[in-house]
Amino acid sequence: MTTDKVFLSASGLSKSFDSVQAVNDISFSIERQEIFGLLGPNGAGKTTTIRMLSTVLEPDAGDVEIGSRSALREAGEVRKIIGVCPQEIALYEELSAIDNLVFFGRMAGLGGKEAKEAARANLELVGLLERGRDAVRKFSGGMKRRVNIVVALMSRPQLLFLDEPTVGIDPQSRNHIFDTVLGLRDEGMTVLYTTHYMEEADRLCDRIGIIDGGSMIALGSPDELKASLDQDGDVTLEEVFLNMTGRSLRD
Amino acid sequence: MTTVLRQASLIAAKDTRIFFRDRFALIFSFLFPLLFVVGFSLALGDVGPSDDDFIFFVSTQEERGISRQIIESLTSAEDSSVVYLEYDDAARRTEDGEIDGFTLFPGDFTERLFGDPPASIEIALGGASPGERAAIRGFADSIAGQLGQIGTTMAVIAEVGGPEALGRADPASMAAGPGLVELEAEQVGGIEPVPATNFTLPAYLTMFVFFAAAMSAEAIARERQNHTLERLMSNGTRRESVIVGKFLTSIYRGFMQLAFLWVVGIFAFNIDLGATAPAVILVSLLMALASSCFGVMLAAIVKTHNAAVSAGVLLSMTFAPLGGCWWPLFITPQWMQSLGKLTPHGWANTAFNKLMLFGAEFGDVLPEMGMLALFAAAFMAVALWRFRLSI
Ligand SMILES: Nc1ncnc2c1ncn2[C@@H]1O[C@H](COP(=O)(O)OP(=O)(O)OP(=O)(O)O)[C@@H](O)[C@H]1O
Ligand SMILES: [Mg+2]
Repeated sequence: MTTDKVFLSASGLSKSFDSVQAVNDISFSIERQEIFGLLGPNGAGKTTTIRMLSTVLEPDAGDVEIGSRSALREAGEVRKIIGVCPQEIALYEELSAIDNLVFFGRMAGLGGKEAKEAARANLELVGLLERGRDAVRKFSGGMKRRVNIVVALMSRPQLLFLDEPTVGIDPQSRNHIFDTVLGLRDEGMTVLYTTHYMEEADRLCDRIGIIDGGSMIALGSPDELKASLDQDGDVTLEEVFLNMTGRSLRD
Repeated sequence: MTTVLRQASLIAAKDTRIFFRDRFALIFSFLFPLLFVVGFSLALGDVGPSDDDFIFFVSTQEERGISRQIIESLTSAEDSSVVYLEYDDAARRTEDGEIDGFTLFPGDFTERLFGDPPASIEIALGGASPGERAAIRGFADSIAGQLGQIGTTMAVIAEVGGPEALGRADPASMAAGPGLVELEAEQVGGIEPVPATNFTLPAYLTMFVFFAAAMSAEAIARERQNHTLERLMSNGTRRESVIVGKFLTSIYRGFMQLAFLWVVGIFAFNIDLGATAPAVILVSLLMALASSCFGVMLAAIVKTHNAAVSAGVLLSMTFAPLGGCWWPLFITPQWMQSLGKLTPHGWANTAFNKLMLFGAEFGDVLPEMGMLALFAAAFMAVALWRFRLSI
C-alpha cells in the first residue's frame, strides 16, 4: 500500500529467466522525495527490478504500487508519472540531442512547442544546450550519458529511475549529475538510483537497499548500514557492501 | 485509437527523418533499383542494333494487334534505328533495291501467337550483303527472342529471293525448298514486347521495394536491442503505435520508391502505361503494402538485428528470382511458376507482366491484387501477434 508518504511499494517481486532466478521475493518501499539507492554486484538483479517497477517487464510474482496505482494492472497510468533512464544509452544516434528529447517528450504526450521548450531547458540543465543540434553520434560517452538522463525528465515524472547513470563519465560530469539529481529531489521528485560507486550512494541516497543473487540482503540509511557493521572507527559504505556481498567475483 | 495514430505518426516522422540522413539507405532504396533496371535492360537487349548506322525496317500486315504494339515500342525510342513502313511501300523498296530488306509480321501474327500452327516473323531480303542479312536476321531473331514462351514454336522465315515469295509458303513446305527460302525454327517464349524495361522496371521495383522493407526489420530489431523501444514503452507508448509507426515508415518509403521508379521509367525509358496505368499503380501499391507488412513481421519474429539482416537478405534474394524478378515467370517450367505463387513477388510480377506485356486490363489482374492484399493481411496478423518492445 502506498500512503501519503510512501510513493512506491514493491512486494514479493520475483522474476526468473530460464534457469536464472534474477530477482527473488524482493519487497521494499520508497518514500516521496526520497533518493533510494539500489546497490548490488553485477548480475544481482538491479536492472531486472527496475524493469519490473517501471512496467516494462512482467514479474512472475509480486506486485508494485506507484502513487497508489498498480504497475501491473494500471501500467498506462503509472507510465504517466515515471521516467526511466536505462543502463544502456537508449537514444537515436542519427538524430540531434534536441530531436531526441523532443521526440521522447512528444511520445509522452507533450505538445510540439512544449516539448521544444522542455528539451532546451533539460539540455541546459546538463550543460549541453550549445551542442543540442549536433547528432548524438558525434557526442562523447559522457555527453551521451547526460542526454540519456534528461530524456527521462522530458515527461516531468514524479518518480525517476536512474540505472547506473554515471558509468564511464569524468568527475566533473559526475558531480554535475549529482547536483542535478539533488536539485530534482528538492523540487519534489522521488528517485531510484543504482550504482556501483559506493561513495556516490553514500553522498546521494537517503536510503539504500543492497541486493545480491536476486535477494534483498540489507535495507536502511547509509549510516544505519555502516553502524550495522560492528567495527571500530570510520567504516565506509564500500566496506559494508563487501562485507555483505562477499569478495568473490560476480558474473 | 487517436493515441495510437498520434504516436504512430510521430514514430514514422522520426524514422523517415533518420532515413533521409542515411546515405546508404537512400542509395540502396533508389539508386540500386535504378542501376539494376538500366543494367539489365541493356543486358536483356532492348531490341535494336548496336550499330548506329544501320536502319531496320519493319512492317506488318495486321490492321491491329500485338505486332502494332511491338512496332510502336520499337520505333518510339528517341534514338531508335527502327523505321516503320507500310507493307506495300516496304515491298516495293526492297524490290527496287532501295532498302536491303525488312522484317514483316504477317496478318495472322496475333491470332497465331497463342495458337497452332505457331506464329511467324518473316524477313524479306533484297540484294543485301551477307553482313546486312545477318544483321536483319539477328534483328528478327531478337524480336522472336523477346517474345516469351507460350509453349509454342515460332518460325522465322528468311526469304532470299524477294518479297514475292513471302505470302505463299507455310513453314513446312518452305523447309522442303532449300535455296529459295530458309526456314529457321526456334524455341521462343510468350509475348514480351519491347522495350525490355516493361519487364525489368516493375520486376526490380518489386524486388527492391520488398528488399528495403525487409531490411527495415534490422533497424526495428536494433531499436529493440538498444532499448529505445523499451524506453518508449515505459514512456507510455503503446505496442500498436510502434507497429503502426514502423509500418507507416516502411510504406511511405515504398511509395517514394514507386514514385521515383515510375517517373524515371516513364520519362527516361518511355514506358507507356497507357490505359493500364491505374492497374499497374495499384499493383505496385499493393506490393509496397505487402512488403511493409512483411518487414514489420520479420522484426517481430527475429530476436536480434543480425538475425534480421540475415533473414532479410536471404528471403529477399530467394523471393526475387522465385517470384519472377530476374526472369519472367512465364518462361519458367510449371513447378517454378507454382513456387513463385508462394511469394508476393510472384503475384505482383504476374500482374505486371499481364498488364505491361500482354495488354491485360484492370479486371484481369484482380486475382493478383487480391492475393497481394491477402499476403499483407497475413504478414500484419503475425506482426500484431508476435511484436515485442523489449528483448
Ligand atoms: N533478458 C534476460 N534474459 C535472460 N537472463 C537475463 C535477462 N536479463 C537479466 N538476466 C539475468 O538475470 C540476472 C540479473 O540481471 P540484471 O541485469 O538484473 O543484473 P544487474 O544487477 O542489473 O547487473 P549489472 O550491475 O551488471 O547491471 C543476471 O544473471 C542476468 O544474466
Ligand atoms: Mg544492470
